[in-house]
Amino acid sequence: MIPVLGNSMARKILIIDDEEDIREVAALSLETVAGWDVLVAGSGAAGIAKARENHPDAILLDVMMPGMDGPTTFRELRAIPETSGIPVILLTAKVQAADQKRFSDLGVASVMFKPFDPLILARDIAEVLGWQEA
Amino acid sequence: MNEAAAEKIASRLAELWQTSRPTILERMTVLHAAAEALAANPLDQESRERGREAAHKLSGVLGIFGLPQGSEIASRLEDLLKSAEPLQPDDIRRVRSQIGELEAVIASK
Repeated sequence: MIPVLGNSMARKILIIDDEEDIREVAALSLETVAGWDVLVAGSGAAGIAKARENHPDAILLDVMMPGMDGPTTFRELRAIPETSGIPVILLTAKVQAADQKRFSDLGVASVMFKPFDPLILARDIAEVLGWQEA
Repeated sequence: MNEAAAEKIASRLAELWQTSRPTILERMTVLHAAAEALAANPLDQESRERGREAAHKLSGVLGIFGLPQGSEIASRLEDLLKSAEPLQPDDIRRVRSQIGELEAVIASK
């Protein structure tokens, strides 16, 4: 048995990122380490549609995407009743302090940084969301 | 972390590096083009923004593939290109030098 986070409920996580390699590594990490179900979307619009349809337990949302960026996607998710309560973690490459504050002020559950360590990504997500499995 | 999970991730990361490499090299091409355009015209905001975006993406991905130094250099490049100040000749030299360092880091893998 591979998953290593104990007592995991079947968490469902949606990853929204325009970069395929980031989506793949994050999905691999969360599935392998935590045994979570992972959904992926390559754009803000596709992510919103998947969130409405699948009601994930949390969303990992890239900041810099073409078209609808992360903050805009987050605001849209908050405006839709079915998705407004889903915790969202913004995922971004290292940014300056002012940007970090701007992102935090949006009301997201947390801001996490790329590059992430695939071996501890699930633990970090569980920790910031107060999930007990880490 | 159990060993089987770590091994599975390491093995898949090695495969993904091969498929991601062309995209990473494309971003390096964008950075080179931005540096040349900015050397010719330091006020070229479009090239500066394209270069900044490429640096941002590289800073987010290289460390995941075991190149944390590449992420740091790309992050410094992003900061340099993001600044609101017009680029000076010294800045252009730094941009070119950091692109060279980044290239060496990527080539080392």
